[in-house]
Amino acid sequence: MSSPDSAKAGKVGTVAAKAPVAKVSRGFDKVASDAGMSRSDKVNFIKAMLEGVKPRDTAQAASGKQAGGAVKSASEANAAKRAKPAAGKPKKVVLLRKIPAPVRIVAPSNPASDEARKLAAMVEAKLVAGDLGVLTPEAIQALMQALCKLYSANIDAGNKFPVVDHRMAITGTDAMILCGALLKAVDLQVFELGMWQSWSGV
Amino acid sequence: MAEQFIGKLSEFKDGDRQILRIGEEEIGVFRHEGEFYAYSNFCLHQGGPACEGLTIANVEERLRPDKTSMGLHFTNDMNFVCPWHGYEYDMKTGCHVKDKRVKLRKYDVVTKGNDVYVVA
Repeated sequence: MSSPDSAKAGKVGTVAAKAPVAKVSRGFDKVASDAGMSRSDKVNFIKAMLEGVKPRDTAQAASGKQAGGAVKSASEANAAKRAKPAAGKPKKVVLLRKIPAPVRIVAPSNPASDEARKLAAMVEAKLVAGDLGVLTPEAIQALMQALCKLYSANIDAGNKFPVVDHRMAITGTDAMILCGALLKAVDLQVFELGMWQSWSGV
Repeated sequence: MAEQFIGKLSEFKDGDRQILRIGEEEIGVFRHEGEFYAYSNFCLHQGGPACEGLTIANVEERLRPDKTSMGLHFTNDMNFVCPWHGYEYDMKTGCHVKDKRVKLRKYDVVTKGNDVYVVA
């Protein structure tokens, strides 16, 4: 919503602004020539200021185009660089990081543990066969309660060990279903679990 | 391409990994079930350290003939996961588990006696 007067004022302002711009440009020419920059250096510098510095691969592809060769994409230029033969030449090998295999706990067994392992193996085998009724709900509850208390008592006593023996013993879905069911059974929310973990350090 | 000595066979236990810089390349070398696998440590998603994350077997859901679920199970196919955004690659091929067109650069690993070499 500009009045004719303001439009006129703007026009006048534009005309008036031309002189300082030209002055700045002349000033840049002087600085550039003092710094030994050619006109193309100046153009490249201004382009870089406006467009940002291009990634190396893109820049290489662009330089290939400028040199009059076939136009190559950045990935083609990169692939050509990688394919450069280094036939038979030994390269410097530096070990950056060693990641050892996870260590499994090996402890002396006892008769009750042997029985428990046999029961676990039987349940796993039945599960693979699709037999979900291998244990009754009451039997699962009894085992779950006893194992939950036994694990918790061990942790309290300072006998810390992972609840499963390796990362692929159970799936993430299995873990979430059981954790959710245990929390629900004792009427706890995930928020309360988080608070307890934060304060107890367990 | 030349064979680059990376260590002794006895230095690699099953399940061990090493991240190496060989010339200009960063390479992850895995030993899994007695075999060696070596891939570029440059994730094809966003350049993360592809070989430095979790190793985990493929998960599949088994179905009964009536298409009801028998639950989720781990298969024998091992994968490794880029720790940045979870891009998951097949240990044996270097292919992304869901899009086989996405494939990490693979390097041959050669053992000669007790010496292990990566061809790079």
